[in-house]
Amino acid sequence: MSITILRKQKAGGLSRDLMPLFGFAAIVVVFSILTGGKIISPGNLSLMLSQVYVLMIASMGVFMIMTVGGLDFSQGAILGLSSIVFCWVSNYSIVLGVVAAVAAGAAMGAFNGFFHVKFKIASFIVTICSMYFFRGLCKYITTNGPVPATFEVMMLDETWLKVLLTSVVLLAGFFIWHFTRLGCNLRAIGAGETAARFSGCRPDLTKFLVYTASGAITGFASFINVIKVGSITGTAGSQLETQILIALVLGGMPISGGARSRFPNIVIGALTYCVLEKSLPMVFPVSATQQLVKGIVFLIVVALTIDHESLRVIK
Amino acid sequence: MSELIKKFRTGRYFGIAVLVVMALFFWGIFKLLSPGNFGSPKLMTGYLQTSIQYAVGGCGLYFIVVMGLFDFSIGANVVLSSLVGVLLSRHFGYFGLIFGCVLCGTLIGCFNGTLYSKLRIPSMIVTVGLMLVLESVANYVVSLDVSGFPGKLTDENILAFNHAPWNYVVAAGAFLLMFFILRFTKIGTYCNAIGSNELVAKNMGINVEKYKFVGFVLLHFFVGIMALLTVSYGRGMLAVTGMASMDRNFKPLMGTFFGVAFKKYGCPVTAIVIGEFIITMIFNGLVALNVPTTINDFVTGAVLLIIVTLTNRGLKGSVVK
Amino acid sequence: MSKVVLKSEKLCKQFGLMAAIKDVSLEFNEGEIHGLIGENGSGKSTFCSMLCGIYSITSGRFLLNGEEFRVKSQVEANRSGVSIIVQEMGTLPGLTVAENIFLGEEDKFMHGIVKNTGAMNREAQRLLDSYGFNHIAASRVIDHYSFEDRKLVEIVKATYFNPKILVVDETTTALSHTGRDELFKVMDRMRTQGNTVIFISHDLEEVMEHTDRISVLRDGELIGTVNTKETSADELKKMMVGRVLDNRYYRTDYGTPVSDEVVMTVKDVSVPGAIDDIGFELHKGEILGIGGLSECGIHEVGKAVFGASYNRKGSVTLAGGYKVNTIQGAIRKSIAYASKDRDNESVVIADSIRDNVCLPSMDELSTRGIVHNKKLDDFADKYARLMSVKMTGIQQYVSNLSGGNKQKVVLARWIGKKSDILVLDSPTRGIDVKVKADIYSLMSDLKQQGKSIIMISEELPELLGMSDRILIMKDGRINGEFKRNPNLGERDLIARMV
Repeated sequence: MSITILRKQKAGGLSRDLMPLFGFAAIVVVFSILTGGKIISPGNLSLMLSQVYVLMIASMGVFMIMTVGGLDFSQGAILGLSSIVFCWVSNYSIVLGVVAAVAAGAAMGAFNGFFHVKFKIASFIVTICSMYFFRGLCKYITTNGPVPATFEVMMLDETWLKVLLTSVVLLAGFFIWHFTRLGCNLRAIGAGETAARFSGCRPDLTKFLVYTASGAITGFASFINVIKVGSITGTAGSQLETQILIALVLGGMPISGGARSRFPNIVIGALTYCVLEKSLPMVFPVSATQQLVKGIVFLIVVALTIDHESLRVIK
Repeated sequence: MSELIKKFRTGRYFGIAVLVVMALFFWGIFKLLSPGNFGSPKLMTGYLQTSIQYAVGGCGLYFIVVMGLFDFSIGANVVLSSLVGVLLSRHFGYFGLIFGCVLCGTLIGCFNGTLYSKLRIPSMIVTVGLMLVLESVANYVVSLDVSGFPGKLTDENILAFNHAPWNYVVAAGAFLLMFFILRFTKIGTYCNAIGSNELVAKNMGINVEKYKFVGFVLLHFFVGIMALLTVSYGRGMLAVTGMASMDRNFKPLMGTFFGVAFKKYGCPVTAIVIGEFIITMIFNGLVALNVPTTINDFVTGAVLLIIVTLTNRGLKGSVVK
Repeated sequence: MSKVVLKSEKLCKQFGLMAAIKDVSLEFNEGEIHGLIGENGSGKSTFCSMLCGIYSITSGRFLLNGEEFRVKSQVEANRSGVSIIVQEMGTLPGLTVAENIFLGEEDKFMHGIVKNTGAMNREAQRLLDSYGFNHIAASRVIDHYSFEDRKLVEIVKATYFNPKILVVDETTTALSHTGRDELFKVMDRMRTQGNTVIFISHDLEEVMEHTDRISVLRDGELIGTVNTKETSADELKKMMVGRVLDNRYYRTDYGTPVSDEVVMTVKDVSVPGAIDDIGFELHKGEILGIGGLSECGIHEVGKAVFGASYNRKGSVTLAGGYKVNTIQGAIRKSIAYASKDRDNESVVIADSIRDNVCLPSMDELSTRGIVHNKKLDDFADKYARLMSVKMTGIQQYVSNLSGGNKQKVVLARWIGKKSDILVLDSPTRGIDVKVKADIYSLMSDLKQQGKSIIMISEELPELLGMSDRILIMKDGRINGEFKRNPNLGERDLIARMV
């Protein structure tokens, strides 16, 4: 029994790790063909990737949340409000603005974490509530018009800077994930929270930290967001949470998290999503069709990547 | 004597009493704060007419939530079924409207249910994908409406469900149906069973797959009725994209939470109906207090969070994801 | 002359590559209580699950009254007169008692799709009364009743339709004295009515007291069937393991003094609803056994001592004065805990052996929060091999291991942590004989090294064989204390338990 099962498990694990790469390659190839090579032209490439920074950074935070088995639907709202905070403070100092945005994001994340951990409410409900909550605030603040950032910010819109910042954040995240106790604890808690608790992990504290950290990370991403757009309207960050969810899923992240989560899920997923998102309008000009394709692709990929072993009962 | 009190405290009438007291309480507060534009009988009927729409949806959602599942595509269903109803009403009048809404809803239920069982993905996730798909389809349906007023019910003769008595009749019919299903069929028992322990239920010979499917069909059947009431009340429907239909999920959900919380008193349907009325009163009360409409979302989030916090009983040591 | 009512012919069951039942041909007579015993993994539950439609049959067949019998679900089995009371909880919370009893069989109360709830409730109450369980109300939601009462409802559910064959699968372990009596009454009644009971139990005394014949399974094969009156517990044990059970299974020393040095003091510990006023001292190098009936609180004591109880009052103090209040604190101060609920509390099932072995030792394996994966791998490998875990590598997921090997992984992690105090709850439950012996010898080794062990167990032979001292609990309190003594017997312990 043993060898065959381990081979199957290894093969399963391997194919799970490689499948997102294949998926990414496949999508690039397919859409290159469909658009007659347009998407891989340099101009289009940089346009495509302009979206990826915010997505990748914010996805890193959500990646941690999903590893412990939670979900977060409030990311877009957090991005919006943090962006507004940044815009306000940037008028005094850009650096202080970044700090303020991160702090604001952290505070919102902590709000989520608090209600989830203290009152034992399912994460998807808490974060949906907070999505409405924060989004409402966002809309209210921008009732009389968009909130602008200080002008100097626009001068920071350089690709090298964005790539640098994104890489730094990702490297830090990777380091924490792979080389620290926190990373090990996250996987254990996601795979079996009760057992992790009995092994000395502190699930409640860890989950609270993860939500707060994710908020802070998204707060940082809002800085990059503002660099790109310059001012914030009431719909800032809308749909970010679905984009993150689809991106992570495309990257091979198991929906229930746990031990099979892998850091590359973030990078490959965000890249795949951006390519998909930018290529779709070229092939299907109607926005409804684009959404249809996105929905179908999402369903197919989730069905293929779900980790049946850690989900004994599917709800 | 204490036995009697205990029996009353855990019985149906106690649950209803609590609900009525809550309703009076909220009415009282807003009436005090803003006597001019809240709480008059005319306004109250307005609240009632909107709340019954959500309550119908809340009833359908109850089957799913009790089994531990969820469905994000309810809003998208309302949009799609309404538009199908409008489209068909152009050629077939009332028959088209009713048939279109309800049948479309039910078919969506079958579709959702099948997809859920075949793909073996958690309901929350699969219905996010379905929401995207359904919204897109709704856009196609609108483009098929060449009448010049796409998605609108312009004919005055087709608006019977916009007002009394017919909207009340339809809603009451839906509530009675719900009550009947829960009390006098196996479905209620089995949904409860699956919700409390799916593996054991399976062992007992309950066809879990079948009843989950039935749950989805019932949910969307009721949502189809909700679509009928919604499109009539609003005299039309707009197709949306970008998950904007998600907003329509939450008012029914709040009612469902009331239903689940009062399940142990044996009066879920009443709880959903009265609960939705309370919620509608709260929203309208806030508007009456001149709270700006942009703050609407804020209020939705806050109210939902409060309701969930109060009705949730997290056991110490239980794992919540 | 007894008539054969049920026969299995060359029955086989394969789970993938593993053969759980091999060519078992067995006969059951009318009007008998037939014991089915064997160590864990011997196939008793699998055999009966195939009979009742819970598992499918790989090859071979059952013959019920001469006709082939093969069903696909429990409900189908019930309709043919074959019923089972399962080991785990068989009733559903959220439903009423009546709904539970008639779950799957509502048809007789249905007119079309309409269900006559009133009639169903009345019929259920009538049945409950006829069994003498009139303290249970049919229309109440079953959540209001205790675990034991729910099992009684399950007994009604399994027998009200007068099945020809009733399988009782390890049910007695979960019941109190009164509950067991009720069950045996039902079993006797079935026998008198000419029906058959297949009684699966680990408790040899019980099996010998209540059965007419006993069949022994070992490793999926039938070893033999004997008449209860003509056999003895020793002979049965021999058949179960295939060798004479020598006493080196347990410890053989008596009279070795235990050190006076106290490593843990438990004082006035209470957990509302579970245990009350518990106090004792644990000495260095001592194996302290804690025994009692299933619901008397012994398991909660283990959690309390490990800092895992909610609402615990009182104090658990270690040698240096440290008070144990949290799991992290306990682990850091060198206390280990192996829970009875292995799959949920002891191992992270959906994770690798490596992660499981390393988790409590993260403090030692990391420098200022940073871990080296190679170090983790080496550590896990070392201790998994030390415990002879049968695995294909440390990356293997624990979910793929057998019960015995899972327990070895649990122990490996605490040996790796070099814990000084080990709290082992039901350490050999559901584990086969060979691994059991390994665990007992490990416990002796640890004792020699000066480690202290609290062993919580519902198995009296284990307590008698391994402990230096035994505390017996009853209804949440300590009710007796015994020192290690070759003359100490199960009767003495039981006297304090009931």
